Amino acid sequence: MSVGLTAVLVVSAILFAAGAFAIIARRSAVVMLIGTQLMFVAGGVAFVAFARFGLGAVHATAGPAVALFAGAIAVGELAVGAAIAVILYRESHNFFLDAERG
Amino acid sequence: MLESDAVPLIGGLPAAITSPPIVLFIYAVLVLMVVSAVTSVMVRNTLWAIGSFASTMALLALLYLAIAPFVVFAVQLLVYTTISAGLLLGLLRRTSGLDWTADSPFNRQWLAGAAVCAALLALIGVVVAATSWPVRVSGGEVGLGDALTTTYVVGVATVVVLLAASALGLGLLLAAPTPAIPRWGGSTTSRRDLPRGGSRARGETR
Repeated sequence: MSVGLTAVLVVSAILFAAGAFAIIARRSAVVMLIGTQLMFVAGGVAFVAFARFGLGAVHATAGPAVALFAGAIAVGELAVGAAIAVILYRESHNFFLDAERG
Repeated sequence: MLESDAVPLIGGLPAAITSPPIVLFIYAVLVLMVVSAVTSVMVRNTLWAIGSFASTMALLALLYLAIAPFVVFAVQLLVYTTISAGLLLGLLRRTSGLDWTADSPFNRQWLAGAAVCAALLALIGVVVAATSWPVRVSGGEVGLGDALTTTYVVGVATVVVLLAASALGLGLLLAAPTPAIPRWGGSTTSRRDLPRGGSRARGETR
């Protein structure tokens, strides 16, 4: 019994797909923001996985460093998105993003 | 020297993790992380979605504990999880409110899944308690600190500025007084209180 690159990459793909679903199919701004975060997280997991199990082990510090930077970018994007969501809510008193808003 | 042919590369790649408790731990964390991530994008209640997302980030930190340098685990758990969850909770508090809605966020069929998740979480707890920590399972721990302060120093400085700005925004969001306006609840699919009634004709959930 072992765990390697494949298992972690599969999870990374599932996280990315869940994030993409949240952005495409859901209409709540909050859930969309969560979806973007999941997509960033998925990328970071893949970088760490390749640094630990794959060819990235040649430069083992690059993968975790990219994961750290991607996480920070995600947090910054979340802050901006939260500010936009607050303005959105002030306008229409809900988080829904669709043409029915008028 | 690694070659482009796939066959020689197999012997040259780092070995997979084979220690049974660590393997169990990683698989349990992976399964729970997938479940919580899918829950966060599927559930109808915003507060539950944020809670599931926060648990996803915390489980990701546990995964990094096993396959990444310790500093990545610490930053993920203490900084990214905290600021992300805080921003989303502050957003909800500032707008629709954190009131607990009477509607159940789940279907009853989800209770069985929740029971399975609880069992996996208990397994993680048993493995963590039974394993002699610290266990050196990551291969890239040596040199990350040096790399961050030498090769990636500009990136680290940029990250610090970004995180500081995000933390400042979090503080302002949480410190802002709760607006005294009528609330429309925390549900992402509750349309009955909306001022415009056009969406009810569609009959679809969000």
